[in-house]
Amino acid sequence: MRKYHKITPEGTKDLLFEECLTHRYVERTLAEVFSARGFHEVITPGLEFYDVFDTNFSGIGQETMYKLSDKQGRLICMRPDSTMPIARLTATRLQNLPRPIRLYYTQYIYCNNPGLTGRNDEVMQSGIELLGTRGRRADLEVIATAIEALGRCVSNFRIELGHAGFFKAIASQLPIDDAVREDIRLYIESKNYAALDLVLDQLGDNESVAAMRRLPRMFGGEEILEEASTLCLDVNASKTLTYLQELYSALKTLGLGDHIMIDLGLVQRTDYYTDIVFSAYAEGYGDAVLTGGRYDNLLAGFDAPMPAIGFAMNVDAITDILINQGKGKKSFGADVLIHCDDGFEIKAFSYASNLVSEGLRCENSVFETRKESLDYAKQMGIPRVDFVGDQIETRIRLGGETE
Amino acid sequence: MKPLRIALTKGRLERNTVKMFEQIGFDCTTVHEKGRKLILPIGDNEFEVVLAKAADVITYVEHGVCDLGVVGKDTIIESGGSFYEVLDLGFGICKFALAGSKGIDFYRGYASKTIATKYPNVAHSFFEGKGMDVNIIKIEGSVELAPLLGLSDAIIDIVETGATLKENGLEVIEKVCDISARLIVNTASMKLRKQEIDTLICKMEQAKEAKQI
Repeated sequence: MRKYHKITPEGTKDLLFEECLTHRYVERTLAEVFSARGFHEVITPGLEFYDVFDTNFSGIGQETMYKLSDKQGRLICMRPDSTMPIARLTATRLQNLPRPIRLYYTQYIYCNNPGLTGRNDEVMQSGIELLGTRGRRADLEVIATAIEALGRCVSNFRIELGHAGFFKAIASQLPIDDAVREDIRLYIESKNYAALDLVLDQLGDNESVAAMRRLPRMFGGEEILEEASTLCLDVNASKTLTYLQELYSALKTLGLGDHIMIDLGLVQRTDYYTDIVFSAYAEGYGDAVLTGGRYDNLLAGFDAPMPAIGFAMNVDAITDILINQGKGKKSFGADVLIHCDDGFEIKAFSYASNLVSEGLRCENSVFETRKESLDYAKQMGIPRVDFVGDQIETRIRLGGETE
Repeated sequence: MKPLRIALTKGRLERNTVKMFEQIGFDCTTVHEKGRKLILPIGDNEFEVVLAKAADVITYVEHGVCDLGVVGKDTIIESGGSFYEVLDLGFGICKFALAGSKGIDFYRGYASKTIATKYPNVAHSFFEGKGMDVNIIKIEGSVELAPLLGLSDAIIDIVETGATLKENGLEVIEKVCDISARLIVNTASMKLRKQEIDTLICKMEQAKEAKQI
């Protein structure tokens, strides 16, 4: 039988040294941002019942989940997303907390990607959820947090805002069934102008069709909102625009306008998101590094209806960007190697703790002779060797030579 | 500013795209005199052309190492992926079709059918749409051989003129879908370099329309 004991499964990898340090640095930085804004950390299980991610409202396809079964043969999956488990735990365990509830997390999610695409199946996500509240202030708080979190990690990024209600309002004006609506949504999501035109050509020529046709092209700066308002829209669609405008102005007032774009063609997971949706892109990464939005209907699926908004950030992506830009965190060797002569072990240990308390990185040598310890230090590039015997002698290596 | 990087599917689509670029007014001499080079600056160094196999064009664009790509709809349907498909370029036109032996009713009987194809995903989704269970066999070379040798009942393949089918006693049973070359864009590039990309799309659209008139 073939053994696979020397490789890791496709889509997973070991993180070593710089990668590992940078990864932890990003996790810590994000956690600091979230916790400083009053969010509380939670950890949910890596394994959840499949039912938590009911495809009808999670928008997660069953083919992308890693599935297994529990001891009673019930279907289990490796957490494909953190928002659904947090909705579950809020609905079941935090019903009595005063609202709003502010939660954050840093944990792996698992996605069974098609093979040989170079994508990671195990992705570290860090994000927040603000539950039990709706309105402009809540939305602003979450988007401003997203901008702060991104800004603390990368320099060049954009966050784009859209509104799930805009597409829904226009779609409701068209004489289409759910299947066609989903086709239209997909073509707008992938900005497939040609296919969208083909579908819309069959629906005649009216204002709603014209608006739908423009939708995938309606992204850019504030001017997009003006352009959109010239389309003849029904009350619901106009409301969403007014709201986006308000939010945009508020973010500009906060000095965050430079990072904001509008994309009215942002229609991913429209059954899941109910109002504002957003995603962020950063230079050096070919996909969104952050996605989020308001999901006011989700908690009802757990019998605890309440409004909520949140986002998830891809820690792995940010780590890659930093490393590729040469901003990764380097790992350092020891500052001092401590060699102890026979019988001075205890003295050496306490000497080491003293140095550590002074802020030095100390390695206790495991070699028997001073010569071996010196050779080792040379090999590892440790600049200073201290011999602990009757007395303490320090050797400092300058330019590779021992003084 | 970094040049926009465009991946072109080697061969006919590459030649057509270069023609379109020249029509727009980009200097493409580097592509004509490429030798063995794979990354070629064109125009006023605003763009870099990368030559790749069809499926790789999608891979490069999806990962964002190329900002844009020109690839056939056939490859897009077969390989899938997430990117923006912004323009039907109007060349490289052909179609996917279901074809079988001439004069035989493909849908007769109740035995489940065997389909030979180079495009298993296209075949799967076509028959899934019909609610038909079929057995799909992937063939790498001339798919027309499979029904002739008795391996399959029919094939799903790209059909341009239908000449090969005819010569081998096969005929089109049903069109699956039309195919043409598409301009695709990486999602992050579209957002981070909107202006440049929009300008290019616009120029290519105009070039396409000018040609049609």
